[in-house]
Amino acid sequence: MKNRVRELRTEQGLSQGELAAAVDVSRQTINSIEQERYTPSLPLALALARYFGSTVEEMFDAHH
Amino acid sequence: MHITKATCMGVAKSKWFVPLFAVALGLIVFVAQWIGGDPGSGLISFAILAGFGALFLLGGRSETIRGLRGDGSDERFRQIDIHATALAGLAVIIAVIVGFLVELARGHNGDPYAWLGAIGGVTYIIAIVIFRIRG
Repeated sequence: MKNRVRELRTEQGLSQGELAAAVDVSRQTINSIEQERYTPSLPLALALARYFGSTVEEMFDAHH
Repeated sequence: MHITKATCMGVAKSKWFVPLFAVALGLIVFVAQWIGGDPGSGLISFAILAGFGALFLLGGRSETIRGLRGDGSDERFRQIDIHATALAGLAVIIAVIVGFLVELARGHNGDPYAWLGAIGGVTYIIAIVIFRIRG
């Protein structure tokens, strides 16, 4: 699923590992989300959106 | 708004469970083969399982190893685990069906493949019903 995770993460100067630790998943899971190979669960999508002070709708685009 | 730690995606579990389980299983297999009069093969079985346990424990930071032993398992790895388990189950079911048919063709009654197939089929149906009810 198309998303803005990489964009928001790099804006804040975070590594994949740091973001992964913040939302309690593996670094590889963050990488898979950014590569649009893995669609996160609703709880993880919410956690990512909250972490970046955004909304799920703003971060994830289900139409692509 | 920043959060420091999510609570529901869950990465951390003890990395000791799978290695200790492998060693315990190895001991049980050793005792079973010892009782069966073949302690030498039992020792080999124990060594193989203990080796797997050591591999899991000392497997470094590989995502596969960490996911399998539990301490690196998050929601994505759990999905991978479910798919891998389903594939492994499919392989076993195919083997059971082939074994059952071969036994029938050899003039036998299909045991133990008939029982294994029945256990698998009944478990599958019960699981479908339970998971459907749980939503």
